[in-house]
Amino acid sequence: MSAAEHRDLIPWYHPKKLLISFRRSPPLVAFALSALLFLITILINPKGLNNRFIGSLILLTTLLAISSAGQTIVLIGGGMDFSVGAVMSAAAIIATYTMDKQDSVLIYVQVLALSLLMGAVVGLLNGFFVVKIGLPAMIVTMAVSNIITRLQYVFTSGSPAGWAGQKFVDSIIYRFFDLIPSIVIYALLFVPVVFWILNRSRFGKQVYMVGNNRQAAYLTGVRVNWVIIMTYVISGMMSAFAGILGAGYKATARVDIFGEYAFTSLVAVIVGGTTFSGGVGTYTGTIAGALLMTVLSNLLTTLGLPQTMRDILNGVIIILLLMLYNRSKAVRQ
Amino acid sequence: MNTLTQSVKKFRRTPAFTGFVLFTIALVMNILMQGINSGTPLAFFKPAFYGSMLMTNAPFILTTMAQSLLLIVGLFDISIGIQLALVNVICIMVPQELGLPIWAGWLAAMGANLLVSAAFGACSSLLRLPAMLVGYAFTFIIKGVNVSIMSKPQGKVPKEVYLPYQTLIGGVLPVALLVIVAIFLMWLLIKRRPLGKHLYAVGGNPRNAYAAGISPVKVQMQANLLKGFIVGVGGICLTLMNASGNPLQAEDYGLRSLIACILGGMGFGGWGSMACGVFGASFFVLIQNAVYYFFSYLSKVITGFAVSTYWQNLVSDVILLLGLLVTIITAREQRKTLKEGLFNQFKGGEARVSR
Amino acid sequence: MIEMRDITKHYGAVQALKGASITIPAGKITALLGSNGSGKSTLVKVLAGLVSPNSGSILINGQPVVIRSGNDAQARGISTAFQDLSLLPMMTVSDNLLLGNEPRTPFGMVDREKSRQIVKDLMDRFKIRCSPQDYVQSLPSSTQSMLEIAKAVHRNPRVLLLDEATAALHMDEITVLFDILRDLRDQGLSIVFVTHRMHEVFELCDEAVILRGGETVKSGPVTEFTLDDLVYYMTGQRMAHHAPGQDVSETSRQGQAVLEVKNLSLPPRVKDVSMTAHAGEIIGIGGLEGQGQSDFMRAILGAKHKTGGSIRFLGEEVAFRQPAQAVKAGMGLISGERNREAMFPDRTIAENIFAGNAAVGPRFRFLPKKFVRKFSEDAVKTYRIKIGSLKDAASTLSGGNQQKLVIARWIAVGPKLLLLDDPTKGVDIHSRLEIHQILRESAQKGMAVIISASDMDELLEIAQRVYVFYEGRVSGVLQGDSMTQENMVSLMMGFTNEKADGLLMKSKEAQA
Repeated sequence: MSAAEHRDLIPWYHPKKLLISFRRSPPLVAFALSALLFLITILINPKGLNNRFIGSLILLTTLLAISSAGQTIVLIGGGMDFSVGAVMSAAAIIATYTMDKQDSVLIYVQVLALSLLMGAVVGLLNGFFVVKIGLPAMIVTMAVSNIITRLQYVFTSGSPAGWAGQKFVDSIIYRFFDLIPSIVIYALLFVPVVFWILNRSRFGKQVYMVGNNRQAAYLTGVRVNWVIIMTYVISGMMSAFAGILGAGYKATARVDIFGEYAFTSLVAVIVGGTTFSGGVGTYTGTIAGALLMTVLSNLLTTLGLPQTMRDILNGVIIILLLMLYNRSKAVRQ
Repeated sequence: MNTLTQSVKKFRRTPAFTGFVLFTIALVMNILMQGINSGTPLAFFKPAFYGSMLMTNAPFILTTMAQSLLLIVGLFDISIGIQLALVNVICIMVPQELGLPIWAGWLAAMGANLLVSAAFGACSSLLRLPAMLVGYAFTFIIKGVNVSIMSKPQGKVPKEVYLPYQTLIGGVLPVALLVIVAIFLMWLLIKRRPLGKHLYAVGGNPRNAYAAGISPVKVQMQANLLKGFIVGVGGICLTLMNASGNPLQAEDYGLRSLIACILGGMGFGGWGSMACGVFGASFFVLIQNAVYYFFSYLSKVITGFAVSTYWQNLVSDVILLLGLLVTIITAREQRKTLKEGLFNQFKGGEARVSR
Repeated sequence: MIEMRDITKHYGAVQALKGASITIPAGKITALLGSNGSGKSTLVKVLAGLVSPNSGSILINGQPVVIRSGNDAQARGISTAFQDLSLLPMMTVSDNLLLGNEPRTPFGMVDREKSRQIVKDLMDRFKIRCSPQDYVQSLPSSTQSMLEIAKAVHRNPRVLLLDEATAALHMDEITVLFDILRDLRDQGLSIVFVTHRMHEVFELCDEAVILRGGETVKSGPVTEFTLDDLVYYMTGQRMAHHAPGQDVSETSRQGQAVLEVKNLSLPPRVKDVSMTAHAGEIIGIGGLEGQGQSDFMRAILGAKHKTGGSIRFLGEEVAFRQPAQAVKAGMGLISGERNREAMFPDRTIAENIFAGNAAVGPRFRFLPKKFVRKFSEDAVKTYRIKIGSLKDAASTLSGGNQQKLVIARWIAVGPKLLLLDDPTKGVDIHSRLEIHQILRESAQKGMAVIISASDMDELLEIAQRVYVFYEGRVSGVLQGDSMTQENMVSLMMGFTNEKADGLLMKSKEAQA
């Protein structure tokens, strides 16, 4: 009997098999850790377990998960997109500036078109420079991202740019049953798109192929450079979408308001099991990673520690997570 | 004459050539813009001017040099900027809070930074965690430590301690320049030791380096410690320049030094030298200056022309991106040597006769 | 003196060495010979410390030793010049030659004067014409090979292993190298010389050890062998003395000409190769490893760009700029270098099978899960690929099943022309037969198949016509009655009639 057949005879709920599949699946690890950290948070502050708390948890997780989608696709393709934060901020500024407290379908369409166009152009620049200059993706996207941020300064002169329309704000932060934030509706539209691109299209398969073995993908007939450029374009557009939602959440936008998302999205994606080397990773993992990062930040807040201790703990935990993730990789090999 | 053209040719093949070209362009632009702006063509060469420019930017240049050392062994550290602040904070707080002499503060700061660098090395090369995210995590940790040591900007350095750093020796030679030169000489010394060769071997191909009896982890650790030392010196310079402490300053030096290194012609592992770092960082600084002078000249000449510093920053960042583009052209010489090699091979292939 | 006794090594089901033995006497140059897959490279790697054998013993001067790593080997005075080079391309010539072995001043600095002297001596001795400060990546491959050998010699070894060291060298360089090797031999070094060029054996070597199928079949002084003998022991076949040249009249063929290649050149690897393949044909490309077969196929696919000649595909002149165009036009390439060029090891079996389809179909059309699963299930069933689950990573499969998977990937797409570059390398005999069966069936359905293989029996069995490559040229075409092992062997060694006769005379003279 082969090992594979032997394995199939063990029921899935067997502890040993559970452990194996647990270790093999970074999303499961991330979900389990999130649950654990959530429990700790509740134990420390039982009063915290209220609708408001859970609602904001869902809202922030959703926002982070949406912002990390583009990063996931780029990383799977073997690249890295450092301009996620800058594009989000720029889109948020476009949104609040264009809306200027007004709500109408026309304005929404304008915002969407302008932002997505901006995201696509930035992505095109990123992808073109990465493929054509041959410099490391990290450096190129960083340089492009800096320019986007500078443009925001020039555009807004450093002060907040307008306000999002109230109806739009409500469409993000309204709580169904006093619990579930309405941003979830956007997620319900957005997440299937990501799954379609990554898992249910030939393009997605090509991204995985390019990330996993570029030479093999090339010889199999994939237009490798085109695929890489497209990952950046898609990433730019998705970040822009996330930025619009972010504008609704914050109601107003200033320069670099989502700048930190360059890193938080990266961490969420990596913690969710996508590798730097490319070819491995899922959007489910990224969602799990986003949840984990949000729960973690909540826990650090709940602990009531001073900001300094929160920073230190945050750094240490990220390193621990990276170690945990590394170990799970070793098991697989 | 022939030897001169030859050595020029040779220089064009070195990795520092890319950075050198950019540096020269930026330097010329800076001299021109400043000359035009101030009305005196050689304003740049006033000791007071270049002295203060070097003094202000010495920490950044040193940081970039440290970053280039890490890049040679295939690592990079984006927490390198906040490490400057760590050194600064300890330099200020040890004398202020513990009443110890100033040199003890410097020593403690240097020790702390070496410790941080060793920890970074342990995470990135021993545990093989991605350097990028380790740097990100370290930024948080060091920020936390900085603020818990010094909650808000404060402190001062006695005049007799910081003045020497800010003077010009003989009225022409800035002390800051001496510090940079000293560190560069140290690098030249290291480059001539076996370690110098091993740094490149490990960055170029760890497997082949290992086959030659070199331990990659050990060499990467050594590179980290050297980096820690240089950043320590940079932090002390920062302290002497500001004559006060700020726990959250210089964080952006981490990413900026990385871009500066690439602008200077470094590769990720085994390609480039500290000269790349010096050229790249200087390009960074000079371009920002030149753009400043350019805009202030415009506002003088064109009545009613006034732009914010935001425009200046945008223009300098666009120039930086163009600089990255320029590296394709300047690196062409290096590629040409590669092509020449292939061409020889091509001719040789035809000349080869199988008996 | 070094002895290796009964060394065995297997990679999974593939047996690379089955009890090979070799004695390497001091003060002699020993030729290590063998056809493709004979295990000679593996044997060299065992001695160099890169491969640990499953069983067997190594004795140095009668003392048993264990060699665990490259450092171990060096400590015991064994130094190797590898075919795939261990140089660091981004470092200078001087630094490469001295790496890990730098002369030091009392202050721990690299002794520059001494380094310069050592490097100069070494380069003079090997007549390497470049500056010590040149970066290795900028040098031609022949100079790099020479540096690799110089580096190995610089370590003052007692045993020097040269693995196909002359493959990339020019004639004058070979002369220099041979003089140096003779010199070293006279100083008492043991030298192992791996080559596929027979004349070099007679010119340089004292002893010969011949491997076949992982076993030592014959050893003794070179003077006791004729060229015929060497080739016979290597291949198990006597050589034909009148192998046909390239000008075989092509018999009439049914079916459309799918591929017509005329005078294709891709220096330095491929020179002036012409070939025709018709629908329904299986064309073989034979030859020793690395004679330009891979580059020829890649030039057809557009992965490498030809410098001369023309390619007509389906009657139209084509010059593909990248494989994607060739694949779209109806070609497919299957590489035997599975890990580097064919597999997506971290992706699932289903995705790997679907890869060919994924590369050509509409990119953003919705792809039902069922569709992919059905596609891969059918392929698994049709091509009898043994798997645990379709969701397992492809890296969990055995070599043979991986290769069947890659072949299934392409057949399912249905290309007009399928190029296979040594597809059965490291594949067990059972899977090999199954792969042949699949190819035959596909050819019957009208596909043109071009297959290169390092195993000549395989080609003789499956191909209707065989082009034999030697050093980038077609040394002969075999078909019909001329498709014999004898003919094949002599073409593989690069011998057409006159050449072979000349060398035969030489080897007999040497004996006399």
